[in-house]
Amino acid sequence: MRLKKVSYSYYDNLPALSDVNLEVNEGDHIAIVGANGSGKSTLLQIMGGLKHPAAGKFLFRETEVSERSLREKGFLRLFRASVGYVFQDSDVQLFCPTVLDELLYGPLQLEISEEEGLKRACEVMQMLNIEQLKDRPSYMLSEGEKKKVAIGSVLAMNPQILLFDEPTNGLDPRTQVFLVELLLALNESGKTIVLATHDLGLVAELGARVVVLSEDHRIESTGSAEEILGDQNLLLRVNLIHEHVHLHGKTKHAHLHSHYLFHKH
Amino acid sequence: MANRIPSFLLARSTAGSFKRGTGKVNVPFLERGIGHLAGLIRNGYAQWECSSQRGLFQRIDARVKVLFLLFFILIVSLKRDVLPETCIWIFVFVLALVSRLSILKVYRRVLFLGFVFGFLVALPSAFNVITKGETILPIVGLPQSYNFWIYHIPAEIGITREGIHTVAMLTLRVVNSLSLSFLVLYTTPFHEIIRALKVLKVPDSFLIIITLCYKYIFIFSKTVEDMHLAKKSRIVRELSPAEAREWIAGRMAFVFRKARLRCEEVFKAMIGRGFSDSVKFYGFRKMGLSDWCAAILLFFAGILFLFM
Repeated sequence: MRLKKVSYSYYDNLPALSDVNLEVNEGDHIAIVGANGSGKSTLLQIMGGLKHPAAGKFLFRETEVSERSLREKGFLRLFRASVGYVFQDSDVQLFCPTVLDELLYGPLQLEISEEEGLKRACEVMQMLNIEQLKDRPSYMLSEGEKKKVAIGSVLAMNPQILLFDEPTNGLDPRTQVFLVELLLALNESGKTIVLATHDLGLVAELGARVVVLSEDHRIESTGSAEEILGDQNLLLRVNLIHEHVHLHGKTKHAHLHSHYLFHKH
Repeated sequence: MANRIPSFLLARSTAGSFKRGTGKVNVPFLERGIGHLAGLIRNGYAQWECSSQRGLFQRIDARVKVLFLLFFILIVSLKRDVLPETCIWIFVFVLALVSRLSILKVYRRVLFLGFVFGFLVALPSAFNVITKGETILPIVGLPQSYNFWIYHIPAEIGITREGIHTVAMLTLRVVNSLSLSFLVLYTTPFHEIIRALKVLKVPDSFLIIITLCYKYIFIFSKTVEDMHLAKKSRIVRELSPAEAREWIAGRMAFVFRKARLRCEEVFKAMIGRGFSDSVKFYGFRKMGLSDWCAAILLFFAGILFLFM
């Protein structure tokens, strides 16, 4: 995947991305981080072929992904079968009557036999530990269960590239840990993982290559998780950490702080 | 976790390459429409919100504008001639120009809605089957006249002079009412309109419903757009119109359920913050000299059109 000088704006006057250049290679695991409104989700949606750049190009295997190219049957099939997108709000992603239907939807779309589809669905349910939910409608699931089903529905299609938008948002700690393990295992098995998040704890745990988006919607920096998380000036500049004052006993104490899994003092 | 990964996930994706020229995917009308609908709603209302340009009408107090709207819509409904209606149309057009509105965007909507709800609805009354009078354009000739229910169908069906007048009047009334409404809506921030309505003693329950609807439209359009994108991300082939209809029916049920839950949550949040049946606003700014001048000028313009 390659993005060349990609820009995007909402209503033609609210910029979301400016001149973004990015290359994603097979087996990469990349975390796109930035403050709220920096354009992470927009960037991810462009990479998922759900929005198209207002300027610049987005290439997938050297073919430009555009509204036009995605109308070509062959390319649509290749692109959608290769790139899976997990939405931040699982509710919008789950539209089949039951969990099992949800997991079967993708394989049947890909014209995989029903038998093979069912086998995949069962294996994915086993892996995600949601077998007991298979006949339940999505509105009778908890947020964590919905997220698992949403991930499962994408995994059942076996895409080579997985895009996750704020995967840990609204999840309890146990489900978050489960998700981190799953992402690491999928990456180890050769999948390309790209996630948009402002959860620096998740970035640290995944040890991903980090792309930092600034508040003016440009790529501010890229580097390893260690390099980026160690650069406090950068994190302060892009509004991912802030100065925080609180009391330690009777002493007023000020330090840099981030609302993530780690709390640096 | 690694040893729980199913074997098919460890295998490479079967989608290897693609051949060009394998045909195009036709997106069903309903499917295409849902994405456009969400965008349209949001764009439309965002323009409404973006009424902070420094044009003539933007500087006038919202109360004056709301009264101007009501007064002029009354005049538009009372007039029975094409000439004063046309003059009002020109007057509103000039006001839109000096208020620096995007004429193309505003009048594209006004004319489209005017065509559908004015011209097309009134068109049958142009014929002598409905409006009696002097036939100036004969269309169909029948061997004899007929009487059907309350209608008399003449031997020669055609368009009458009186019919054309009726269609023109109805179309102009709709276009003028729309132009007036859009002029006020595009030049007044939403919260100012609500405050003006409150000052004009519009019932609180009505104001609450309008305010909540306005806020909900954004949430609704975002949800609809996200649902559309989520569907798009999992579609690898052409869908039949029946499949699209099935999906839309399911999603309508989802949106309904979500709206009901949201409604309960919002009401609880309002109660939690001390809501007790009445809408309270902080002080309205005082009307300035320019507001009074504008009010007097608009009032006399209205009187002029009324007696034209």
